[in-house]
Amino acid sequence: MTVHRTWWKTAIGVTLTVVMLFPVYWMINVSLTQRDAIRAGDFYPKSFTLDHYRVAFHQQLPFLATSLVISIATVLLTLLIAAPAGYALSRLYVPGRGTLNFLLIVAQMIPAVVMSIGLYQIYSNLGTLDTLPGLIIADSTIAVPFAVLLYSAFMAGIPRELIQAAQVDGASHWRTFRSIALPISRNASVTAALFTFLWAWSDFLFASTLNRGGGNLRPITLGIYDYIGSQNQEWGPLMATAVIASVPTAILLVFAQRYVAAGAIAGAVKD
Amino acid sequence: MRVGSIVVAAGMITALAACSSSSGSGGSSASGSASSLSTVTVWDPYPQNDATSDWAKYLAACAPAGTTLTRTTAATADLLNNLTSAVKAGNAPDVVILDNPAVPAAAAAGLLAPAKDAGIDTTGFDANLAGPGTVAGVTYGVPIGANTLGLYYNKDILDKAGVDPSTITSWATLNAALDKVTKAGDKGITFAGVAGEEGVFQFLPWFWGAGANLKSVGSDQAVAAGQLVSDWIGKGYAPKSALTDNQSNSWDLFLTGKYAFAENGSWFAHAAASQKFKAIAMPIPGQNSGSAPAPTGGEFVLAPLQKDNASAHYANASKVISCLVGKDNQVKTADKLGYFSANKDLRQAQIAADKVWTPWAASIESAQGRTTDLGADYTTTSANLSTAIQASLNAAGDSATVKAAFQQAAAG
Amino acid sequence: MTVQNPLIVSGDAMVGRTWAPARPKPRRPRRTTWAAVGFLSPLLVYLVVFYAYPLYTNVSLSLHNYTRATYVTGNAPFVGLDIYRQVIGSPLFLPIVEQTAFFVIVSLVFQYTIGLALAVFFQRNFPLSTVMRGLFLVPWLLPIIVSATTWQWMMDADSGVINRILGIFHIAPVWWLNADHSLVAVTIANIWLGIPFNLVILYSGLQNIPPELYEAAALDGAGRRRQFWSITFPLLRPVTAITLLLGFVYTIKVVDIIWIMTFGTGSSQTLATWAYAMSTGKGTSAVIKYSQASVVGTILLLIALVMGFVYLALQRRSED
Repeated sequence: MTVHRTWWKTAIGVTLTVVMLFPVYWMINVSLTQRDAIRAGDFYPKSFTLDHYRVAFHQQLPFLATSLVISIATVLLTLLIAAPAGYALSRLYVPGRGTLNFLLIVAQMIPAVVMSIGLYQIYSNLGTLDTLPGLIIADSTIAVPFAVLLYSAFMAGIPRELIQAAQVDGASHWRTFRSIALPISRNASVTAALFTFLWAWSDFLFASTLNRGGGNLRPITLGIYDYIGSQNQEWGPLMATAVIASVPTAILLVFAQRYVAAGAIAGAVKD
Repeated sequence: MRVGSIVVAAGMITALAACSSSSGSGGSSASGSASSLSTVTVWDPYPQNDATSDWAKYLAACAPAGTTLTRTTAATADLLNNLTSAVKAGNAPDVVILDNPAVPAAAAAGLLAPAKDAGIDTTGFDANLAGPGTVAGVTYGVPIGANTLGLYYNKDILDKAGVDPSTITSWATLNAALDKVTKAGDKGITFAGVAGEEGVFQFLPWFWGAGANLKSVGSDQAVAAGQLVSDWIGKGYAPKSALTDNQSNSWDLFLTGKYAFAENGSWFAHAAASQKFKAIAMPIPGQNSGSAPAPTGGEFVLAPLQKDNASAHYANASKVISCLVGKDNQVKTADKLGYFSANKDLRQAQIAADKVWTPWAASIESAQGRTTDLGADYTTTSANLSTAIQASLNAAGDSATVKAAFQQAAAG
Repeated sequence: MTVQNPLIVSGDAMVGRTWAPARPKPRRPRRTTWAAVGFLSPLLVYLVVFYAYPLYTNVSLSLHNYTRATYVTGNAPFVGLDIYRQVIGSPLFLPIVEQTAFFVIVSLVFQYTIGLALAVFFQRNFPLSTVMRGLFLVPWLLPIIVSATTWQWMMDADSGVINRILGIFHIAPVWWLNADHSLVAVTIANIWLGIPFNLVILYSGLQNIPPELYEAAALDGAGRRRQFWSITFPLLRPVTAITLLLGFVYTIKVVDIIWIMTFGTGSSQTLATWAYAMSTGKGTSAVIKYSQASVVGTILLLIALVMGFVYLALQRRSED
């Protein structure tokens, strides 16, 4: 009887998934349709073509590679900044800790239009326009407030006894952080890394403001806009590029799903 | 206490902001401080041509001796803003290629160097096509090429409905043709009614074809033009997506082969000739007779204002520009972009060499600049007109709404 | 800044630990404070360079009257609160605020409800549930240009998929993107965009609830619906609170999906799209209005701040 019930759930689940993913299907549909049939609205690619994928592979691969480099580097940089900060906020004495926490949430409230006007100025003055390191630093700022709060929450849940035991043994704060807090917060690291990777991968604002002149060293979010010309837009290659670009992130999501879900949080929060 | 510290911080930021009058100083220019420069930067609005494209190589070949040319491309809408922040920061490119309606705005904002200072040769360009490059009596740049709007028709659909395209000489005959075509089971006309300059560009042939003038957008003629497009939506002659379609989108609709007419640009002429159905171009009919004046499209090559080492930058700029639009290369450049040369004689040779241009010869001759009369004020007028066009399309034929929309536009 | 500005894991963790330390601060040796400074300094540098400076620029822009020309030279006249008066007194202001309220509230309500329903649906494993849960996240990683354009095509009045499906049920086709309906159209697309994010966070919040509670309730004879309202929903309150707070903060900033679908024309104009249009000279008007855009940006920020304080107040109340 239970088996019957769960297959019924699977059927509903498949229906819901199909409904939810219909726009994704449309994207794949268009990527395989010739230009003159794209607006015809056919449910499947009647005028089938692989040309768009040929074009996309030919033109967009450097951007895909750049995106990968940027995203991975952003993850490393973000974790490097956020983990110690999270440790400090949760386990060390910091005057004004509450204010800093609130500022971290407020930082995420600032609208893009506010950010973009000031950013170009800063980067121009620093001379870091159109550089990969500059873009990596900018992308990490999207993730850093969130990652800090995440680490804070996780590391606050580390039992005091473990920390005290290390300190009784004469370990410095850095040692305690590195050897005790960080390994225990592995789930937080993976979650923060996952979100950071996704944001850096999909960032458009910073890339278009700070890295316009980057040539081949532009991320895929800018590369895809090359198909949006002033009088002519090529939707076929654009959709094909999107399909290609979604593959690594989709694999990553499915893999890391478990870390975002059960256990990851339950382990850290012991009320 | 948290709240308190935040309020204090906010107060400090506000006080600092109010006291300052200038935000940030310009950084040093990107290139060397010697009097000659080794890189020349060019910004163009053709992102569809990537680094490996023909256009990129063609442009790179225009680098002056001893320099390398770096090309950055961005959509037209972003190019002006990018130029603004670049000039402000002091690292403007050597050459920028801007869409013509943006030139007066750029000039009025102090972003461009006068052609005289930059050493750009402004002779030999047709007045109607070079008009947008002159603002308040000062010429800033020259056209890289010109294009204009026309009416493409699908001959197969017209034949099926029994419509003779040579009879389409006025709005009435066009509407009659649309009626016949839709009754025969096909679709009518595609055009771009999208909000912004592109929608205004597409509306101008009907606007001017009715005899209206950009200086008074609330006139009866203007309302008549608005009523025309509004009725198309209301009667189902045009797709409702015209409200959000730009020229590329409306071209995609025409390519499906289901539409009888497409109002679109000369840059699609070659694409039209290679379709599965017979697509032919004709001039846009005026309200009562003859052809409607169409607006000039196409970009201008300009030299941005430079802070440091200006003479070296301008020297490079003028070399690149004369390489692009000098008499010897003008037609080659225009052909690369699918545009017309902006010089009458060269253009006539260009048209004679490729018969896909024949239907366009008269239209480009009589094409008008959008900003010639209004200069930098054109941007505001265009915005008002765009709002009126959108309201008319939304009204789907309701004449009271259309009239009110244009009167609102005139009020500003 | 992007679609995936997400949420923190569990409200409990945040509330219990980092916000209100229950114990009095002990006298620590100097070394702790220096270590803390060392650990925190990269973060502090970021906050100043990347947040404080743009904020300062924004406020400065809103207090001066900038045009494109004076933006370049930097010599704009100081006008105090004039631009604020101009923006708030404009006849466009109130309708745009109402539209923003509709967009945000309806989006949040549906995103949360559907996300919660899906999370409950997936709560207990069944065949293929893990794969499906992963697939539900795919919309999250599509470039927004793709999602928005696809929705625009699907909502095409003449040949779009949605109208065709409505036609199967004999419902007249709707002109989704015209001035009157565009707000509903972009809200629907935005709800779709926000479901994966809500699903992920609420699902992990559900996993935090000890299954023993459900077993005990089942033994007491409580049905599934009773279990949901008496156990699940109350225990999810901290997660709900932070989901809605950050959902609000994010949704009020949304520009891309609306912009690509309609350019913010008609009823789909919100405070965020209005600010974007004015700060870049895109959309209907190419006239650039830096100062007015900054005013609207500041208003957006203040609204988000107010919500932040509301959240804090709610948290403090739930602690007592």
